[in-house]
Amino acid sequence: MRKRGNSKRSSRFRAFRLVLLSGILLTLALIFLVSTLGSQKFSTLHKLILEATGPVQKVVTRATGYLGLFTEKYSDLVSVREENERLWDQLLECRAAAYRNREAQATNTRLQKLLDFKENHDLPMLAARIVGKDPSLWFRTVIVDRGSNDGVIKGMPVVNGEGIVGQVFALTPNYSKVLLAIAPSSALDVLLQKSRVRGILRGTGSLTYKLDYVLKTVDVQEGDQVVTAGYGGLFPTGMPVGVVSKVVRKRRGMFLDIEVKPAVDFLTLENLLIIEQEKPFSR
Amino acid sequence: MIPFVFILIGLALIVIQTSVLMVNPVWVASPDLYYILVAYLAYRFDLLRSLIILFPLSWIMDVFSGVTIGTYPAICFGSFVLLKIIDVKIPVRESLYQVPLMGVSYLVVHKVVYTFFSFVNPDSIGPWSWPEIFVKILLLVLFAFPLFRFFEYMHQRLQKKFVPFKMLRVRSGNRFRPENGER
Repeated sequence: MRKRGNSKRSSRFRAFRLVLLSGILLTLALIFLVSTLGSQKFSTLHKLILEATGPVQKVVTRATGYLGLFTEKYSDLVSVREENERLWDQLLECRAAAYRNREAQATNTRLQKLLDFKENHDLPMLAARIVGKDPSLWFRTVIVDRGSNDGVIKGMPVVNGEGIVGQVFALTPNYSKVLLAIAPSSALDVLLQKSRVRGILRGTGSLTYKLDYVLKTVDVQEGDQVVTAGYGGLFPTGMPVGVVSKVVRKRRGMFLDIEVKPAVDFLTLENLLIIEQEKPFSR
Repeated sequence: MIPFVFILIGLALIVIQTSVLMVNPVWVASPDLYYILVAYLAYRFDLLRSLIILFPLSWIMDVFSGVTIGTYPAICFGSFVLLKIIDVKIPVRESLYQVPLMGVSYLVVHKVVYTFFSFVNPDSIGPWSWPEIFVKILLLVLFAFPLFRFFEYMHQRLQKKFVPFKMLRVRSGNRFRPENGER
């Protein structure tokens, strides 16, 4: 009985507390509404709420800003990387194009020289290209892509825009082997252009010639031009061969030791002209 | 089939040597790749197969290089015989010594051929140059290691691919030798 009385009392007290709390909240809400709508100013509560939530808002906004900036930077980085790759590709293409242009220009210059040489010398000539070079230390030959099918015969002189290169000494229907003038087994009949003195020009295996059988009495100076003599009719007369680079007068012997620098740059040989001569040239 | 493949390999080496590796007609720093193949043949191949490969190889070299026909057959066969004799006679069968031996044989054979030419036809040959020959030997030794491995790899692959005829013959059912006295 006592227990039942106690529970009745507590439920009544709970209902009272609820009514009281609701009344207070309602009153506060009413006060808040009246004060807000009435003055249209931030009340203390407003200020309190703003002061409390402001920093949170600030942090979130800043964080969002940073996040946006980071996303933007990342996307920029990705696009910069892509752009970088694209620009590198473009640069490589440009470099390749520049290389091709330079190569074409160099080829053009070389071929122009050959053409000029062909036009200046009224001789039938056949253009040829070097396809192989002698790898030995002692012999100096090259293989060119013209043979007997193109009208090449053994012994034909080979030149380029700068002067005498050598002569054909073996051939097949489509290819020829050319003995270079710098080969030790090569010998050319030449003239010193100024004094018109004749000598035999021999290859040394390196990038110089040796001019033999020029008497000590002859006045030979460094820088004198050496040209083909045309004796024997193998080479046409007056073709440039080289320039005297060294003259040694030994005490003994009848002849001078003369070193000649080739007119042809053998290091850059590429395109050649084979002079098509069926009969020996007449002087 | 193996000699034919090695002839093709030799041809490829000679073409590379005379076109790609020769920058200009007086270029020294091009290795004599054909010589590495000659040395490999002397070390690894039997006489008959070696000769089958060496004949065309030396002829091709004679076509691409030199002014006196027969120079390269002399160099190739001379080197082959020298290396074969050394390989048979030498007590040490260590592959490490084979590459330096090849360099020494290159020097010896070239010196002999050069001396011969300078007696027979001195005007046909340039001056002997020790620095140039040493550059050639150095390059030869450097290129020998990868090329030997390549030749070995090719040789092994070809041997696996082409099974000898005796392995294909039909055999009797009996896989065991009869015991002494048994029939």
